[in-house]
Amino acid sequence: MSLDLQKYLSLFVAEAGEHLAGFARDLVLLEKAAREGGGAGAKAAIDSCFRHAHSVKGMSASMRLDGISAVAHRAEDLVDVFRGDPAKLDAGAVDLLLSAADVLQEMVGASAAGANPPADAATMERLSGAARRLREGGVVGPGPAGAPALPAQGAAPAPAPPGEAVRAAPPAAAAAGEGEPAHPEPARPQSRRVIVDVSVAGSCPVPAVRAFLVVKKLGALGAVTRTSPPVDDLKAGRIPGRKLEVTLDTAETLQALERALAQISDLAGVVLREAGEERPPATAERPLPAPAEAEHGEATRSVRVRTDLLDGFLDAVGELILATARIREVGKALPPGSRAALEEGVDRLHAIVKDLHDKVMTVRMTPLAVLTDRLPRAARDVARKVGKQVEVEVKGAEIEIDRAILEELTDPLLHVIRNAVDHGVEASHLRLLAGKPAVGRIAVSARRERDRVILEIADDGKGMDPAKLREAAVARGTITAAQAAALGDREALLLACLPGVSTADTVTDVSGRGVGLDAVKRTVEAVGGTLDLESAPGAGSRITFRLPLTVAVQPVLLVRVGEEVLGLPIAKVHGAAQVEMSRLDRSRGEPVLPYDGELVPVHDLTRLLGFPQDGVRDERAVVVAEGGDGRVGLAVDALLGQQEAVLKPLGAPLDAVPGLSAVTVLGNGRPVFILDVQRLLAG
Amino acid sequence: MAKRVLIVDDAIFMRNMIKDIFSGSGFQVVGEAANGLEAVEKYKELRPDLTTMDIVMPFKSGIEATREIIKSDAKAVIVMCSALGQESLVMEAIEAGASDFIVKPFKSEDVLSVVKKVLGDA
Repeated sequence: MSLDLQKYLSLFVAEAGEHLAGFARDLVLLEKAAREGGGAGAKAAIDSCFRHAHSVKGMSASMRLDGISAVAHRAEDLVDVFRGDPAKLDAGAVDLLLSAADVLQEMVGASAAGANPPADAATMERLSGAARRLREGGVVGPGPAGAPALPAQGAAPAPAPPGEAVRAAPPAAAAAGEGEPAHPEPARPQSRRVIVDVSVAGSCPVPAVRAFLVVKKLGALGAVTRTSPPVDDLKAGRIPGRKLEVTLDTAETLQALERALAQISDLAGVVLREAGEERPPATAERPLPAPAEAEHGEATRSVRVRTDLLDGFLDAVGELILATARIREVGKALPPGSRAALEEGVDRLHAIVKDLHDKVMTVRMTPLAVLTDRLPRAARDVARKVGKQVEVEVKGAEIEIDRAILEELTDPLLHVIRNAVDHGVEASHLRLLAGKPAVGRIAVSARRERDRVILEIADDGKGMDPAKLREAAVARGTITAAQAAALGDREALLLACLPGVSTADTVTDVSGRGVGLDAVKRTVEAVGGTLDLESAPGAGSRITFRLPLTVAVQPVLLVRVGEEVLGLPIAKVHGAAQVEMSRLDRSRGEPVLPYDGELVPVHDLTRLLGFPQDGVRDERAVVVAEGGDGRVGLAVDALLGQQEAVLKPLGAPLDAVPGLSAVTVLGNGRPVFILDVQRLLAG
Repeated sequence: MAKRVLIVDDAIFMRNMIKDIFSGSGFQVVGEAANGLEAVEKYKELRPDLTTMDIVMPFKSGIEATREIIKSDAKAVIVMCSALGQESLVMEAIEAGASDFIVKPFKSEDVLSVVKKVLGDA
């Protein structure tokens, strides 16, 4: 490859990867649409599939990667057959195209390392053979797994005879019939849609709060139907570019709105305009008219940035935050007379650095779609292997989250999906017996709640049985029979997250569910999230991840133990109490603290960490934290306060020390270790 | 006629500073309160044109006081005095009905520009 092309290689690898992922996603969609009788959905998916294959072909040819181009060309050719007749698509063909996408992805990966991989002859032959047979009126036949082709029920293996009744109107046709909204709203002649663009002055240290005030003021004058950024973002302090756009349905005049906004300080620019049409009816299927957006300023321009560069930015901003805190500390030693000027400067610096940090975090935000797009395919693969039918529905894929969290989440989420197909969803005949639809359903949905992303994976399978999990945990000696009996059903379900509980041998109903679920829980918690499990026997299970938007800056509780200062993630802390250790009740020799209606075992952090015991006073502070198997108390010498900390992963050899999860640097330059309570107690 | 101002802050130093800013600029400071409880009482008694409200105070927070004042007088104009890092509290106060906010440390011209705008005198 010539040097010239080398320059574009990383871009090619990234874009080709996206197209191949899109290709696989559309194929699974297409298969579903075909099963539901084709229609507009199938047509759109097939066109999109074709475009992806076509793009990969063109891109790789431009890169002189002829092998990739040749395979992509054959795949495109096969898809083209279905464009003419979607009914010809069967599971075998989808299998074949998906495996071609995998082959192509591997080749693209090899090209990233500088190779020019040759076309795989077997793949080429399978693709062109299938296209040939289909054109001659045959079928592709069973896929490599030998599983049956699309099931007869609801499938469209052959074109229906012209006279046959249509099974069910495809959604598109049904929608087309609704010319009028069912419940026409009373006319509101004066109310119309106004779009307000506001930019917050650079001198304002808290632009998000300013913008929030604007939204609030406008809300008093009409109905705010949309804001960009969303209000949740503003509440989390995010307002990229200090710009806000509010869509308002109001009866007020533009002048009245302008007057109201003139009362708000720190606004550098306010532009009001009416959306180009009357207020749409209540059904409002149409999103905001796009032309109105386009006429206002240039189209959004974007550039691609290497991810390691983004990581570098974040590191640098983290150092800036620490350095600012350090200057503030140093300033405290100055005589009072000269301190004010420095503090004013530091406040300003802090505001700027915080703004910069917000911007960097915004740039790092990545839509969940990058991950969720892979889920239908993953579910399908498992389903084909075990002879089940399942559909994955994804909602809220546009929700954004820090890419570091997204990366950590990939394996756990795939694991949960595979588990749901393998162990949650029943085989079709059993589902029909249970009065459920033959095709199992897994709903993946994401939504924002303030500064959290809630990700739910719900299946309509057979669910988990808390009673059996209790039995299994007792049988494994993880908990006692008395403890098991004391657990509520919800808590009992979480037993599945303990290592070794609910293996296939002990709990056939949930075989495998526990295997790896502890790893999933640990990963989710490592990024500052929580995991929750709900299940109803016979009705299905739901796993809920609550995730932070960003991972880098977390509030920590600082405590002193002996001469050391240590940090605990606030997310893990329930509360704290001041106690005299000698006066605590004891249970089996261990001190216990009454807290929030339960007795919490208290561990001495001085002893756990192997620090010298002499000089430890009887009166101690006890931090109640989440310890993995429930709450635990950690006795420390003093609570020092709460601080936003930029957490850095530990390098070797410190990462091997059990009980330490990260390190941060305080304003005074002192490094502080962050404790991993769960592992500390286990170790 | 000079606009009448009520100043709420638990620090005497802050109250004096804010009082100086207003007194030198044609406002009439009619009262002071050192906590949220006092603030609500003084407001009902004095009915000022403008109230400056600290957020973190003993007995009753500025947010709680704002909520109660707005409940008794929806047209009350309350400007929150906040510090950096209290963004979410300020937004809570705005939800409670505060008209605007200023961020400490502030300069006198910033304070005056915010309150004049909020009172529609700008």
